[in-house]
Amino acid sequence: MLGWIDDRLGAASWARTGLRKIFPDHWSFLLGEVALFCLVVLVLTGVFLTLFYVPDATAITYNGSFAPLQGQQVSAAFDSVMRLSFEVKAGLVMRQIHHWAALVFVAAIVVHLLRIFFTGAFRRPREINWLIGIGLLLLALAMGLTGYSLPDDLLSGTGLRIVYSVVLSIPFIGPYLAFLVFGGEFPTAQIISRLFVFHVMLLPALLLGGVGIHLAVLWIQKHSQYPGPGRTEHNVVGKPFWPSQVLKSTGLMILTAAVLSLMGGLIQINPVWTYGPFIPTTVSAPAQPDWYVGWLDGALRLFPPIEVTLLGITIPSPFIPGVLLPGIAFTVMTLWPFIEARLMHEGTREHNLLDRPRDNPLRTGIGVAALLVFVMLTLAAGNDVVALVFNVPVETMTNMMRIAVFVVPAVGFGVAWRICEELRRGELHPLGRDPGVMLRRTPEGGFEEVEPPD
Amino acid sequence: MRVLWAFVASLLVVAGLFALSAERAPARTRSQPAGSGSTTNQVSAGRTLYLTSCASCHAANGQGTAYGPSLAGVGAAAADFQLSTGRMPFAENAGHQAKRKPPAFTPDQIRALVAYVASLGAGPAVPTISTAPSLLPRGQQLFIANCAPCHGATANGGAVGGGALAPPLSMATAVQVGEAMLTAPGQMPAFPLSGEDLAAVATYVEYLRTAPNPGGFSIGGIGPVPEGFVAWLVGVSLLLLIVVLVGHDWDPRRT
Amino acid sequence: MRGERAVTAALIASVLASIGLLVVYVFVGGNAQAEGLLLGLALGGMGVAIVIWAVALIDAPVETEARHPMPSPGETRRSARDALDADRIGRRTFLVRLLAGAAGFLGAALLLPAFSLGPAPGNALFQTPWRRGVRVVDETGKPIRPGDVAVDTVRTVFPAGHVGSADGQTLLIRVPPELLTLPDGRGGWAPSGCVAYSKICTHAGCPVGLYRARDHSLLCPCHQSTFDVLRGAVPTFGPAARPLPQLPMEVAPDGYLVATGDFPEPVGPSFWNVTHREGKAGSTPSALPSVRGGEPGPS
Repeated sequence: MLGWIDDRLGAASWARTGLRKIFPDHWSFLLGEVALFCLVVLVLTGVFLTLFYVPDATAITYNGSFAPLQGQQVSAAFDSVMRLSFEVKAGLVMRQIHHWAALVFVAAIVVHLLRIFFTGAFRRPREINWLIGIGLLLLALAMGLTGYSLPDDLLSGTGLRIVYSVVLSIPFIGPYLAFLVFGGEFPTAQIISRLFVFHVMLLPALLLGGVGIHLAVLWIQKHSQYPGPGRTEHNVVGKPFWPSQVLKSTGLMILTAAVLSLMGGLIQINPVWTYGPFIPTTVSAPAQPDWYVGWLDGALRLFPPIEVTLLGITIPSPFIPGVLLPGIAFTVMTLWPFIEARLMHEGTREHNLLDRPRDNPLRTGIGVAALLVFVMLTLAAGNDVVALVFNVPVETMTNMMRIAVFVVPAVGFGVAWRICEELRRGELHPLGRDPGVMLRRTPEGGFEEVEPPD
Repeated sequence: MRVLWAFVASLLVVAGLFALSAERAPARTRSQPAGSGSTTNQVSAGRTLYLTSCASCHAANGQGTAYGPSLAGVGAAAADFQLSTGRMPFAENAGHQAKRKPPAFTPDQIRALVAYVASLGAGPAVPTISTAPSLLPRGQQLFIANCAPCHGATANGGAVGGGALAPPLSMATAVQVGEAMLTAPGQMPAFPLSGEDLAAVATYVEYLRTAPNPGGFSIGGIGPVPEGFVAWLVGVSLLLLIVVLVGHDWDPRRT
Repeated sequence: MRGERAVTAALIASVLASIGLLVVYVFVGGNAQAEGLLLGLALGGMGVAIVIWAVALIDAPVETEARHPMPSPGETRRSARDALDADRIGRRTFLVRLLAGAAGFLGAALLLPAFSLGPAPGNALFQTPWRRGVRVVDETGKPIRPGDVAVDTVRTVFPAGHVGSADGQTLLIRVPPELLTLPDGRGGWAPSGCVAYSKICTHAGCPVGLYRARDHSLLCPCHQSTFDVLRGAVPTFGPAARPLPQLPMEVAPDGYLVATGDFPEPVGPSFWNVTHREGKAGSTPSALPSVRGGEPGPS
């Protein structure tokens, strides 16, 4: 087998180096893999769903097996989702696995991103993969948003009209952009088929291509590693790609699929039949987006009723929380490696040894604060559900969250900073002392690092 | 190892959540509609009960006080709804919204009280609701258009602002559903629908109570909020546990 | 050996679950719980087997590999730069500029078809199907008399001929007339206490579907914007900054409610020129059909 390929491609030499490539062992390095394997599950189940889904908003009469909707006017898209859920064997479990996988996919990306951030794995030379990673996160969010809207049920239709309103709120270009994207004033018949093209073709192509580049860059740059005995900036200590890492990753992939299958079979998600078809004149409460868009919905809920009109130009209320906030958040996040390098006077030093979060209290504090803003806004998106569960007025809940969104992150920053300092002073971590760096003058007049003795 | 225990603990919490969500039992109590067939005996028996149990807030002849509204003209439907759902007598610690609780009176006593309140002035009678499976699609449409905005698509209730809650309808009988739509209890507006439409809504509410969840655990049936929690607490937790186990260095020579 | 036994057990469990999956699919069919559970077990057994194999049956000692800094040596970099030799193209300055210009024009030409995706907004956002004299009808198309509406009830109404209209959807609420304190100039707009407001939230466009009868408040379930029905639907809580536009109504000689014009302001969420009056052209309905997104979509 190898011989046949080598005869034609000369594969033996790169197969040899590839198979023996060393990957450091640490559980936190598997988080990105979990996201990747969720994507694998999403593609497989998604292909199945695509074979049954009809991206068509034409109104037809539902005559499937779900009694409460029989004889009602629904869109062909909604009808196909109902058929997929009730008439197609194994259709419901596939749809539920797909939806759970989507929720866990974005969650895994976020956990992976947190690991990268708090260990400083984004530093030179890995800024490039940070940028690609942020792009992948945005694509994953876009996938989620477009997918959420496809069933054309009451909940997803409500989500779409909020998206429309947020687009509409952009000064000057908003109305034009909204009409171009939706094909006219909401609701339009075109939007379902447009979302479908994005969800099953354009976005997946970009996402899969981006993942390929993400992995290629990782391969070229070699994996970073935590400091420890024998580990330096100039080596990689770990186990060869083949067989142990390949087997572990394969096992992890199958186990990820197993967890998602169990969830898809046992826990009901997005029961569109109880929401019914989208009707532009009605709404059901509570109305929330999937969790990863919750922070934006929460920001919309918390924003004060301010709509300034200056020189005849109105800044609509949803613009700042719905457009400006995510715009700024993602810009800062994207540029973070460069901002931090500037702040820390990094120069051109390469970092292959990871920080422990305590090693950089400023970064850790900022990360904790940003994470808490995100968590508070996400909680705010569920303010009516929290109000229902704890039996407090929803207005009280909103007003509390309006304060908490500023106070909690500020406190979090201080606490995180303090904990980092304490830990550094105590050096309680089992990994022991930071080995430090020893430098030696080179004949050319530069400096190079000396590998410390084990 | 501590990490492991933390996982086990969080999984237990999730399991507890499931148990709670699976727990809501369907209503078994069914109030016999009291209405037109009331006798003078019932009215006088009702008045006696009224004077001991209700008059302190609604005044001796039902004209109302600062603590309770006038009952003249609210009709039998309102009285039957409030009494059979246990909302009246009002619990002292209930805040400003009467909540469902076990009725304080026997069905006979309720019939008597209803007859008395009905005698105070003309108002909606207790409706006769005959639910029928054929009304299901009409009921779904009416429910989504009129009830779901507050009570939720799955009738699990919702917060409607102003400190008010639209209660879950899991215990409401068909007659009570009809009565509520006719008499507008609390913050609820009235929905004066035809008899058949009331029956259609009641049919759908009844259906929702026993509706199967073909997808598995319903996790509350209130949409993406519990779904997001489960994605993190079950999905991400399990996967983190797996990741820690897979990524652990199991070689006994190096530990 | 324990590892081998564990792998064997996991694989056998996986096989059994897979067989169970086949049986369920063929003989039961459509039971999501059985399918999900068995699929999870089949995959889980396989995954556990592979992981145990990797950690227990494969002897993989820790190895160290050298890592080289990413930048290429200066010599390599120089020769790459020479090979690129941007000057071979760049020295024809005029042609380069022309090429860039041509590419710009080509890009613009290629982008234009994007405008086929949707109409220009025109007046669409400033208008609804409501016109002077249009009857107020319910969701079945039946006209409404003030007497048909009980006090403290709410219903969704539409302009006659546009039942289900997304931008014409309106809430008709009857309140005791003496409670109403509408803004100046709306004296006759609420015959017999029947007030009508656009049902589309001025914040993010959701239908304002929740009515609290006791405090006469409308609540939008999406972001909890709250509007006071008695005072011209001014926002009293939440992120909405504009009142819900009120539909001017009167009772026609035949006793039915009719509109006396379109909403005085644009309905639904705000946009940058929402206050621009000149966009308002209620008297030219003929200009409309091409810009409006057709009749509202499904159902």
